[in-house]
Amino acid sequence: MQETFWQKRLRDVAAVLVVGIFMFPLFWWALTSFKPTSAIFDKDGIVWFNFKPTLVNYQVTMLGKSRAELAIESGNTFGVGGASSYDSRQTIIDSLIVAVGATALTVLLAVLASYALSRMRFYGRQAYLNWILSQRFMPPIAIIVPVVFMFHYMSLLDTRLGLIIVDTLINLPIAVLLMKSFYDDVPVDVDEAAMIDGASRLQIFWRVVLPMVKGGVAATAVLCFIFSWTEFLLSLFLTNSIRTLPVKITTFVTSTGSEWGFIAALGTTAVIPSFIFILLVQKQLVRGLTLGSLKE
Amino acid sequence: MASVTINSVRKSYGGFEVLHGIDLSIANGEFVVLLGPSGCGKSTLLRMIAGLEPITSGQISIGNVVVNELHPKDRNIAMVFQNYALYAHLSVFDNMAFSMQLKKVPKEEIRRKVEWAASILNLTPYLDRQPRQLSGGQRQRVAMGRAIVRDPSVFLFDEPLSNLDAKLRVQMRTEIKELHHKLSTTTVYVTHDQIEAMTMADTIVVLRDGHIEQIGKPLDIYDRPANLFVAEFIGSPSMNFLSGEVAAEAGRLVVRANGVSLPLPPGANVTAGQVVKYGIRPEHLRPDTGGAGIPAKVSVVEPTGPEIHIYADIGGQEICAITQDRLELAPDDAISLVPALDRIRLFDPTTGKVINGPNEAPPRTLMRA
Ligand SMILES: Nc1ncnc2c1ncn2[C@@H]1O[C@H](COP(=O)(O)OP(=O)(O)OP(=O)(O)O)[C@@H](O)[C@H]1O
Ligand SMILES: [Mg+2]
Repeated sequence: MQETFWQKRLRDVAAVLVVGIFMFPLFWWALTSFKPTSAIFDKDGIVWFNFKPTLVNYQVTMLGKSRAELAIESGNTFGVGGASSYDSRQTIIDSLIVAVGATALTVLLAVLASYALSRMRFYGRQAYLNWILSQRFMPPIAIIVPVVFMFHYMSLLDTRLGLIIVDTLINLPIAVLLMKSFYDDVPVDVDEAAMIDGASRLQIFWRVVLPMVKGGVAATAVLCFIFSWTEFLLSLFLTNSIRTLPVKITTFVTSTGSEWGFIAALGTTAVIPSFIFILLVQKQLVRGLTLGSLKE
Repeated sequence: MASVTINSVRKSYGGFEVLHGIDLSIANGEFVVLLGPSGCGKSTLLRMIAGLEPITSGQISIGNVVVNELHPKDRNIAMVFQNYALYAHLSVFDNMAFSMQLKKVPKEEIRRKVEWAASILNLTPYLDRQPRQLSGGQRQRVAMGRAIVRDPSVFLFDEPLSNLDAKLRVQMRTEIKELHHKLSTTTVYVTHDQIEAMTMADTIVVLRDGHIEQIGKPLDIYDRPANLFVAEFIGSPSMNFLSGEVAAEAGRLVVRANGVSLPLPPGANVTAGQVVKYGIRPEHLRPDTGGAGIPAKVSVVEPTGPEIHIYADIGGQEICAITQDRLELAPDDAISLVPALDRIRLFDPTTGKVINGPNEAPPRTLMRA
């Protein structure tokens, strides 16, 4: 299709607009994290850039300083009252362990299970697929009570391993279905050609088919990681001393008021690992998401 | 290299039989084409030879070894697939080297063999490329390279050219034939394209609905089709069939079709009153403006360049005639068509079998080698 000059311009403008709409909250959050409390809530209106940037919010959440220490250091007594419970370093470490662990476990299981579902014809295969799909319909809240009991008896409550297992449980159905669609795009002829070339089932999987769907693996991993990274409900119920990021952030909303500066600082920091992760797999991800590039 | 013997082989999917007892023996070094319409079971038979489909009953041997229970990799066959089935993540070199790498062949030998195959197939400049950076014809050659480096005793091809455009198809046809000439490896080649079959095969096996309809050399099959199906399937435009009844007329036998008399060769194996299908290929119907043949009325004239296709009506039945003469014809012109008597094929309309026997003397114009 031939585009006119103005059609092209219009499309560019629309693209910028959409990106702008999606990026603005992120930008605003990051901006807020550098504001002193007085600039976050100003009774005279919205503060854009006319504030004195501060690292206090990061010093408290990321370096574990209490406000009292900071106030003494700077000789400024404004906003004293923060406690060491705002220190979020352990939270980030725990969240990373849980998210990376759950992603690795999910991808490992999904990559194997979906290969079998895509390639092998066994009795009850379709029913099995439907069952997997049905697991996806189930809201996590529906299983929370039995899971709490089971975890209690297995001593998995308040452990990182417990969170890894439960996140894997929730992610596995969609990961399997997603990976299966990637495998389905690789013609079975490729497996057969490799079989004739002398490869065993495992060699076919490991040396031929898996490398051909690495874009799909990347896409699946990103999906799992983001889910674990942002999962709230299950970690709230299953842990109390281990606090993952979303749960930790809610503790900043206290009976005496919300610490918006800390929330913004932690929220901004939380974006970074996802960002790095997506950056790492970006090339694969784009190929994985633009289906069909693997074909032929 | 090896011969292939297929002995009353059957194949069922669930309770549904798709191959009904196939018997076929393929000589060492022979190029056999399995030809038939879509769904007739060509691929199934080929995949059974490869070991990709279990054999329901019967026996397949390769070089005197029964292979029914052998794993594909132990049959020493190589297969080229319709969609090439290349390893998309590997370079052209590694695609070809893969089977040898699995067998832990020394690196030096792998290199030597891949380079040998690449030079035969004109792939040397592309060895470092990925399959997606190649054209369709080049990909097809990589697939063939992957097959030949293994020194297989049998090559299996499943419609390898159907994804290529018409021109490339003709070129690759020649290349595959040359390759066969160089390597003389026994080859089984599946296609539904009768031109491909005619041009490439030593022997054509015509299949329909899981049955073998005829086995023979390309020209034998063309000249002496054993039944209506083969006669109609091979040749383009296909053979003309006129329904009629044998009758005696002026002391000789003719076929009467809707009031038109069609001449028969002397000594035809029919009796008066017999209902037949009168088969004649378009190029064996000579238009004669003098009026000494079957009267016909022109309906469409299609010049193709080397020849003219004349579609005409004989007593209400549509036929096609081909001539190289530059005739000036228009629709509704009356012409007469003279059949080459020794090329007429008569078929039994109920069984479809040829009546004047597949064992009659070769046609007059058959050239001596
Ligand atoms: N896995 C299967 N399950 C059930 N029926 C099958 C299966 N594979 C093939 N068939 C049937 O077997 C018959 C022969 O199939 P086959 O693929 O051999 O045909 P073909 O001659 O190669 O056709 P084409 O020219 O379209 O490739 C068809 O009727 C098909 O529907
Ligand atoms: Mg087929």
